[in-house]
Amino acid sequence: MMRQAFRHLARRRLSNVPEWTVYGGPRPQDASSPSAAAARRVTVTTLRGKHRRGEPITVVTAYDYPSAVHVDSAGIDVCLVGDSAAMVVHGHDTTLPISLDVMLEHCRAVARGATRPLLVGDLPFGCYESSSTQAVDSAVRVLKEGGMDAIKLEGGAPSRITAAKAIVEAGIAVMGHVGLTPQAISVLGGFRPQGKTVDSAVKVVETALALQEAGCFSVVLECVPAPVAAAATSALQIPTIGIGAGPFCSGQVLVYHDLLGMMQHPHHAKVTPKFCKQFGNVGHVINKALSEYKQEVETRTFPGPSHTPYKITATDVDGFANALQKMGLNEAADAAAAAAENAEKGGNSPESS
Amino acid sequence: MSFSRLLTPRILLDNSGFFPPSSVIAPSLSRQLRCTRTGMGGSRPPVPHRHVALRVLNNVAPEPAVYGGGGGAGAQQVPAAAARRVTLATLRGKHRRGEPISMVTAYDYPSGHCRAVARGATRTFLIGDLPFGSYESSTAQAVDSAVRVMKEGGVDAIKLEGGAPSRISAARAIVEAGIAVMGHIGLTPQSVSALGGFRPQGRTVESAVKVVEAALALQEAGCFAVVLECVPAPVAAAATSALQIPTIGIGAGPFCSGQVLVYHDLLGMFQHPLHAKVTPKFCKQYGNIGDAINRALSEYKQEVETCSFPGPSHTPYRLAATDVDAFLNALQKKGLNVAADAAAAAVENTEKEKNGTPQLNKIYA
Repeated sequence: MMRQAFRHLARRRLSNVPEWTVYGGPRPQDASSPSAAAARRVTVTTLRGKHRRGEPITVVTAYDYPSAVHVDSAGIDVCLVGDSAAMVVHGHDTTLPISLDVMLEHCRAVARGATRPLLVGDLPFGCYESSSTQAVDSAVRVLKEGGMDAIKLEGGAPSRITAAKAIVEAGIAVMGHVGLTPQAISVLGGFRPQGKTVDSAVKVVETALALQEAGCFSVVLECVPAPVAAAATSALQIPTIGIGAGPFCSGQVLVYHDLLGMMQHPHHAKVTPKFCKQFGNVGHVINKALSEYKQEVETRTFPGPSHTPYKITATDVDGFANALQKMGLNEAADAAAAAAENAEKGGNSPESS
Repeated sequence: MSFSRLLTPRILLDNSGFFPPSSVIAPSLSRQLRCTRTGMGGSRPPVPHRHVALRVLNNVAPEPAVYGGGGGAGAQQVPAAAARRVTLATLRGKHRRGEPISMVTAYDYPSGHCRAVARGATRTFLIGDLPFGSYESSTAQAVDSAVRVMKEGGVDAIKLEGGAPSRISAARAIVEAGIAVMGHIGLTPQSVSALGGFRPQGRTVESAVKVVEAALALQEAGCFAVVLECVPAPVAAAATSALQIPTIGIGAGPFCSGQVLVYHDLLGMFQHPLHAKVTPKFCKQYGNIGDAINRALSEYKQEVETCSFPGPSHTPYRLAATDVDAFLNALQKKGLNVAADAAAAAVENTEKEKNGTPQLNKIYA
């Protein structure tokens, strides 16, 4: 698989990287071991099987290495590198500002972290709308340079369907996206749910069908009433992945930060999408941990002896103190000696520097 | 377009392009470069204005936005002390009074770190790292990179690694260009090639003396602070004592003027047993976020797979009752009878839920 090759290459170049790295991620030592077999990668075929058996498909977004690791470890089926990164990572008000180059950085980081889920990369606003050629080029980049398994693009207009078709014909799996399409915020006049009138509802079903016709392997339904989503899901042979679309879809997707309650500021809590359930209160935990760190640093409780691992031998301390005195740094020599004594006593009451 | 509140007359922020260094934040240092009153930016209220991407960590109610400020996800979490921004002057004051300085890295995203962090952290002092390869080949390259980080990244100062003569010259040149520089000696991760791995420094007399000398040279070159990484505590104590500028330690014992830790490490972000094994031993885990995240994601997965999520409280969008029939008819006209039935069943299901009869939500394959 290309992604594995890409990563293998990256590892090869860093000959001085230790075998176990914090951020390089765990590596299975034995490819044929039972654990490796159990952790088989999810493919579009896997999803097709789940859909046929009526098993709901889980999708969560990720934008960097740690979130990808978390999504993978939790056993989520699909990891979507969404252009929602523009909002939850980069702090913009919409998904529009993010570029394909930046998205590719996110994709690569996620690819390093999530080895088992199916990886889908979003095509960001502006990289696929002007022509089918542009769309195919961008999709190719997401797979080649981003290490993704599939792409997602928004919209159901004829030109979008054509673009989707061209990308599928290029051999790239495409996930469609209809209903509220955040990149169309300009035309929609905001983040407005769709399918709430008869015409709009029928359009949702029709575009979903058209995308299936074009060869998409699944379609995201965003912010449409549940009956509309039910109709679309029923009309399609491919799975639908819902967000704010009720429980009748073939699967569900949520944004990582929303479902984790990552923003603990009361204002953020107020504007979390109402269709999103907070499965955790991580923002709160983070705030507590950081506050505790700050407090411990300010009271000089941290670092204590157990977090001060690097030692210099007693003889070397003397040599060091002498060298400092020769340099005319007598105070520094005293400080070093005092510190060494302090460490010996196992104490943790440092002098103010 | 409303300017970022980071604007001062001296700094042009054009948010195009991106610069990928990882950012470092010093939560309790004072803002120096971002003033509340600017010469050309016009007078500005001391709280962020319309640029809705920013959420301030004080008690001022910000403007509504869906994800405003989400970019600095880590930056947002930095505990709010006072509303005042942190500047070099505050740092100097703290150092003089012997008050420890706390520093944390912000969420290290793959790209556009600085700007994302700058959007999220409005009170803290922002430092952008110069990444490997962007400043070593010449002093000119170093100044150019530092300028980019300031201009495009929206930070208050830069940090660069190393104590070799060429690095000291680079630091001096950057300071002369008007950019505050934080030095970094001891274990310098970018030198993993020459050091032969992530190896603590200062453990022999020679090496220890070199640490102190390099710190002094960086101070001489005009640095406002120096990071001491992975050196024995006595060596850090000596350097801290010899310097007038503050030292920020990591794995360097308690005798530095302040401490820095990596966000993910201190939060216990990685709960995989292997990751836990290789977390740096000098880092205390103040939280077990990885665990919390894993539990939340597992619960989400479970609820989706048992069709418990989304329930009625998370299915907010409705078709008007009058439109439902028309919708069903329209579907039938198009020959989508099965779809029409599914829609009808869904409506009924929702009705029953509303009336208090819990339904098993079926997936329509």
